[in-house]
Amino acid sequence: MFRSIYLKSLRDYRVPILGWGLGLGALMATVLVAVPTVFATPAAKAAIVALGASYAWVAEPIKIDTAGGYATWKYGITILVVVIWPLLAGTGMLRGEEERGSLDVLLSAPRGRVRVALEKLAALWTALVIFGVVVGLLTFAGGAKLNGEITLGGTLAFGLNLALIGALFGSIALLVSQFTQERRTASGLTAAILTAAIVVDMVHRVVPNTAWLSRLSPIYYYNQSKPLVPGYGADLGAMAFLVAMTLVFSGAAMWLFARRDVGGVAVELPARNASATQALPTSDWSLRSLYARSLGMIATSTLWWTLVIALLAAWLVIIVKQTETQLRSLLQGSNVIAQVIKLGGADTATNEAILGALFLFLPILLMAFAVTQANRWSADEEEGLLEIVLSTPQPRLRVLLVRFSALATATIFISVVTLIAATAASAVYGVALDYGNLAAAALSMIPLGLLVAALGYLFAGWLRAALDTGLLSFLLVIWFFISFIGPSLKLPDAVEKVSPFFYYGTPLLHGWQLGDLLVVVAAGAVALALASYRFARKDIAA
Amino acid sequence: MSGSGKEAAVPDIIEVDKLTKSYGGKRGIKDVSFSVAEGEVFGFLGPNGAGKTTTIRTLMALIRADSGTARIAGLDCWGRALEIKRLIGYVPGEPALDRNLTGGQILEYFANLRGGVDRVYLKKLIERLDLDTSRKFRQYSTGNKRKVVLIQAFMHRPRVLILDEPTSGLDPLNQQEFDGMVREAREEGRTVFLSSHVLSEVEKTCTRVAIIRDGNIVRIGGIHELNDIKRYEITIAFAQPVAADAFARLDGVAEVEALNDGMAVRLAIQGSADAVIKAAARYPVVSLTSYEPSLEDIFLRYYERDGQAAKEAVGV
Repeated sequence: MFRSIYLKSLRDYRVPILGWGLGLGALMATVLVAVPTVFATPAAKAAIVALGASYAWVAEPIKIDTAGGYATWKYGITILVVVIWPLLAGTGMLRGEEERGSLDVLLSAPRGRVRVALEKLAALWTALVIFGVVVGLLTFAGGAKLNGEITLGGTLAFGLNLALIGALFGSIALLVSQFTQERRTASGLTAAILTAAIVVDMVHRVVPNTAWLSRLSPIYYYNQSKPLVPGYGADLGAMAFLVAMTLVFSGAAMWLFARRDVGGVAVELPARNASATQALPTSDWSLRSLYARSLGMIATSTLWWTLVIALLAAWLVIIVKQTETQLRSLLQGSNVIAQVIKLGGADTATNEAILGALFLFLPILLMAFAVTQANRWSADEEEGLLEIVLSTPQPRLRVLLVRFSALATATIFISVVTLIAATAASAVYGVALDYGNLAAAALSMIPLGLLVAALGYLFAGWLRAALDTGLLSFLLVIWFFISFIGPSLKLPDAVEKVSPFFYYGTPLLHGWQLGDLLVVVAAGAVALALASYRFARKDIAA
Repeated sequence: MSGSGKEAAVPDIIEVDKLTKSYGGKRGIKDVSFSVAEGEVFGFLGPNGAGKTTTIRTLMALIRADSGTARIAGLDCWGRALEIKRLIGYVPGEPALDRNLTGGQILEYFANLRGGVDRVYLKKLIERLDLDTSRKFRQYSTGNKRKVVLIQAFMHRPRVLILDEPTSGLDPLNQQEFDGMVREAREEGRTVFLSSHVLSEVEKTCTRVAIIRDGNIVRIGGIHELNDIKRYEITIAFAQPVAADAFARLDGVAEVEALNDGMAVRLAIQGSADAVIKAAARYPVVSLTSYEPSLEDIFLRYYERDGQAAKEAVGV
């Protein structure tokens, strides 16, 4: 495996790609295995159809009363998770190696820059094809008992479509990383592009006559292919478009990489102050204490995450009216659906019932933010950044708790701004909501975020940054899986209680659920206490 | 006091006794013992992977020893780490700092973490090492990064300086400045514990030296005590060819090499050169050149026996 850059890179991808493929493949397989249970009665099937229509903004419900249609719709939102790995691989491919200094050594070998980059890119594409095949095979296995409704060709095409959207975002990440000094920045920017692409694709399912806008999003073309939906199949034109865009972005990245300085960026901005100085920034607030510095370190990323989460909250409030209209038309003349959905009669209650379901995405995003910050803590130790800090008279316990406090501050900030944004949106667009419940929904996210962060700090006591982040992400997917499709699978209560989303509950409907929140707070406190105990005693990574 | 070459009646500020640390099944250090007197400049020598950094990181309470004790100023390095860190300035072997902060921001931050420092002295250090504090850490050259780390270690005038390969990447001019900073620290009665594989650096600055190899201390002594085991070379040119064998069996001769078709010999000598001088006097001598051995030579002797790469040992 060390005979070429291509093979070496492929080797580097083996664990994540198999882990990602097996995890996401298993998720799809489980959805299909659950189909007979979900469609057990005509009433249940009708309820699913109704829900599909009301959640069309998340994923287009095509033939949702079939196994393939249901699974495709259910899998819709996971595109965010699918694309995360290729995105990180894209930013790490060249920029990550430049940061570590290993690209200097690699480029000292008698190979051209473009050749080096192409071999790495080819390895990523190969890894994604393997990922697609793994997902395809597991999906096929999951649908094996559905009377031939799920075909091998269909599942492999489904996997290939995932690989293609992954490759496209990998190439966008690669291109973005040509313009940033740091991998972390490139990952953040590409994640923002991904989020924007997902939202832009959603627009045409919510606002009529806006397909032209959604066509600007690569996700739109990914969604054109639904190989598991009977009679729908893969859209070869859309797939070809994804391939073409991948080649365009990758080609542009290669072109820039071949011309720029290694360690530099494609567009160098003029230095603000070229003259040397020996002065000290004595008035810089962010350098005054460990806490201030910890806050300063995460300020920029916190602002970006705040923007995304708060805007999404406002957007959800705005679209709730339309969802309500759709639901009302469905409810007319269908007692079964009305019983399943159990909407209240008053406007406020109806709005909150719909919004309550949508708001589940906000704590997921806040928890994802916590994952990135836990990763940073772990990576700081791994990269030796704690070494000199710990040579100063700062107790280890304080170093950890202060970093956690800064993260807690950021989490509270995000939640409060989200609350303000949702409140403002409801006031401006005339969506009646109980503001007490809205506050409960926004602020109840805080313990969930802190629980994830505390677990990340705890795992960091033993695991390296990549594994820590992988494990946390995996937990997040599992929790989401339990809460999102657990009810369809009729999972035992004990299993559902494993997920923190269970304790988040439905605060928009029922207000503060302090007892449940205390469970999350207690779990977080235990995790943080164990993390502190471990950090105070462990060997700091060299 | 363990080890030799120490001046009497000076209290030990660093005491290490049978310190052992392994990484899983892999060797780290084993039964490492030495002590350093207050005010001493102590060199800690060894090739890459010998256990220098493991020893230092144990002193800094960054890792915990499996067994044995390490004390600084009478305080246990692990149990009383916080009190010890008030006394210490530290340069890690592979310094990593926030890439997005400027040198000035880094120094300001660590000055604050230390509860404030003498600003005038800090500025003097910056001027002395000619550091541009406006550049981001990621934009610095290796040498400039090292300067930032050195300044943060010296800026609070610590009682003990623990420096792991401190001059790696510094140019000769700045190495000279560093030597001056170490000398001044010593003159002020502060202690310097300096690890290196650049022996000439230790030779210039240290009063005593410990050599570590494969995780074990193989020698401790004053610079002059170490000189008694070093070998030195003499090249003698003659007016006529002389058989090299004439010198091979003489007392103190370790190696003989004939040069220029027997018109000269190069001798490696350990101990007295009396027998060699007397034997050479029997022939018409044109010139005699003696090469004073450096600590590199002493160091090499410890590593050439088992065939370990000599180049690695001296860091060339």
